[in-house]
Parts: sequence; structure tokens; C-alpha cells
Amino acid sequence: MKKKFTIRNKYGIHARPAGQLVKTASKFKSQVYISKNGKEVNAKSIMGVLMLEAGQNSEVEIRVEGEDEAEALAAINDLIDVRTFDER
Amino acid sequence: MDKNDNIEKIPQEYFIDAEPEPFVTVRDLYERNRDRVSLEVINNEASFARKITEKEIHRPALALSGFVKVFTYWRIQIIGNTEIEYLKTLDSEKRYNVISTVLGFEIPCIIITSQNKPSKELVDIANQNKITLFSTPFSTTTIVQYLSEYLETIFAPQVIVHGSLVDVYGVGLLITGRSAVGKSELTLALIERGHQLVADDVVHIKKTATNVLQGSPNEVLNHHMEIRGLGIIDVRRMFGIRAIRGKKDIDVCIKLEKWNDEHEYERIGVDDETTEILGVRIPLIVLPLLIGKNITVIAEVAAMNHKLKQHGVNAAKEFDENWIASMKEKNEPKKGSA
Repeated sequence: MKKKFTIRNKYGIHARPAGQLVKTASKFKSQVYISKNGKEVNAKSIMGVLMLEAGQNSEVEIRVEGEDEAEALAAINDLIDVRTFDER
Repeated sequence: MDKNDNIEKIPQEYFIDAEPEPFVTVRDLYERNRDRVSLEVINNEASFARKITEKEIHRPALALSGFVKVFTYWRIQIIGNTEIEYLKTLDSEKRYNVISTVLGFEIPCIIITSQNKPSKELVDIANQNKITLFSTPFSTTTIVQYLSEYLETIFAPQVIVHGSLVDVYGVGLLITGRSAVGKSELTLALIERGHQLVADDVVHIKKTATNVLQGSPNEVLNHHMEIRGLGIIDVRRMFGIRAIRGKKDIDVCIKLEKWNDEHEYERIGVDDETTEILGVRIPLIVLPLLIGKNITVIAEVAAMNHKLKQHGVNAAKEFDENWIASMKEKNEPKKGSA
């Protein structure tokens, strides 16, 4: 499963949001990946996520593979799109 | 996120009790401090068994002037230059009366400061009322300061925690966790790498100042440890005197636990987790145990990271700020062209 997101919070996926994303992804058994401009990294790795440099208004794609992929994608959707990482 | 969300309380089961020492006797006061402040007994040990139950120290100047309606006689009384000089101004009958009134209270002891010599009258009345008089060459200010500090420590709130305390690179690491989780094994590994043991299994913690938690070993257990499979070992003999330390302020609490899929372990380190002991907040690091993980090195790195933070270097925070700054730089030209 895949879904594209636009990062809307002011500072993008900096350390704290990256931590939230990694913690959310790590709750699930599925493999979770995040990509930007064709560069894809493991969404359960802090350093990987930070390397993407996903600032405000950047487009990222989340790809989830595994038995609980639907739940995982829903949780990530909630974090990125609904809660915007609890930041503005 | 609200800051309070980050406090994780140490489970109640890790605490043994929380009773402060209720008193020290005049004998304790004398024996533990005579060398430091040159206390000498002027008359006799009549009130050595009396108890001091408060950390405050009193100067009875006002009481000696006749006002005893409010007189904290149960505290240590200090007679300094002011009191001595004042008494000299009274005629002998009045002087006898005020001294008799004041010493008629059950005073634990009187310390006469600045090398002042008590009059024979004062000594006689003290003897009648079974009150020990001490003399010291030090000034009232010095004695009050010194004894306050001593009593402050005695009456400090205290608690006993199941855990170990190790000085790692000068950082006091309090290691807690469930029984048999591996506290003593981690402690032993740290000692083996040259760090100093303060206490294993039982740590006495005193709040010696508003924000200071001082840990020390139990007097009976001292620097002995129990290692499962080996029994009791004597760390001082085995590793030598440099492997132990008498007391140490606690800087960081490390909680060991079995790996728990439900727990979200720290991944960033920007928001510090904290715990509270005796109302003092200290940083908390929850370390999950996994086979093949070198928990000893992680504990050392935790100590060094704490030390760096004390020196104003917070790697996680700096990284985050730099990341945000660089993002801004990259985005700014775009905004300009739009």
C-alpha cells in the first residue's frame, strides 16, 4: 500500500516529528518506507528519515508492506495529515 | 506535549521506606563535631542524653532580656558576644534571676562561642539544671553555619531505594529496575571498567539541598555485593580502594527493563524524560535489555551525554536546530522567486 502526503507543519520532519513517525511505524509488524524525490528509506530508522530532509510543503510517499499494512497506513495518515505531527 | 507527561514515577515497590531520623542526642552532636569546631565540655555531661529534634539553632538574647513567652528552648542555644556583654550590664540579682529563668527550661545544651568564658554563676545554674555547656573558639556565625549544615543533613528527608549507585566519569548513575533484571551485573561490569561503586542493591538517598539527592551505602552492607551464582563479594578487597566511593550526588536514573514491545523507547533525546525522588526531578533513561546488547557501554555513554549536557552541549537539540536552519536556507530562495 502506498500513499502520498504533503508535509504541512512549519519545520517539516525534523527530529521530533521524525521520532513520532519512527515510533508510530515501529508499532507495526509491516515494513514501512518513506520516500522523497525518489530516495526511499526505512521509516523505522530515525537517521534515515532525517536524511530525507522533508521540510515544509515537501511531498513524501509512504509505502507499507505486511500483514497489518492497512492499520499502519491509517496510523501514519493520522500522524502526518490529521495531527500534522502535533505541530503547526 | 505538556512537560508533565514526561515524568515517569519510579514504582513504589522500589522504595523501602521514607522515615527521616527523628533526633540526634547531644552526645552525637558532640562526638561527631568536636574535632571540626573544637567543642569542649565546660561543666559536665549532664544533658548528653537529651535529644535535638530540629535543625534550627537559637540565640537566647531576647529570652535573657526577660521575654520567655516565645522561647524555642528545645533547640541548641548559642551564647555569643551579644549575650555575654548584655549579661555583664545587669546587676547581680537581676542577672541571677534571668539566667535561672532561661536555664529553667529543658534546654538540650548551650554553646558559648568566640572563646568567651562563662561566669561561675552561669556554670552553677547550668549544673543545677543539668545542662551541658560547651565552649568553642569559633564565632557565632561560623558555628551556626557549621551546625546548621550538619543538622540539615541529619534531618534531611530521606528514602531507601532498591537499586545501585555508581559514579561513572563523575556522574552519579542510579540504576533501578525489577528484581533480577540485572542491576548488580551492570554495576559489576561498570566497576570492572574502572568506575566507582557507591552502593549496590540498597541506596540510602538524602535530599541534602533543594535540588540535591545524595546517595550512600547502607552501613551494614557497605561495599558488598550479591552476584547471583557467586554469592556475596567484597568489592573493596577485590577491586581495591579506588573502586569504591562513600557518597555521591545522584545525577541520572537508569531504569533497566526487559524489552517491552509496548514501551516506546527514546529515539531522539530532545525531550528529556524525568523521574522524581523526594520531590527532586532527575533525568530518567529507560534501557531495554536485549541479548547481545552491551548495556555497560550504553550506561557509560549515557553518563558522558549527561556530562556534555551539563557543559551546554545537547547533541540531539543542536542537530535538530541545525536541521531546521538548513531547511530554511534551502527553502528561502524558492519563496523569493514565487
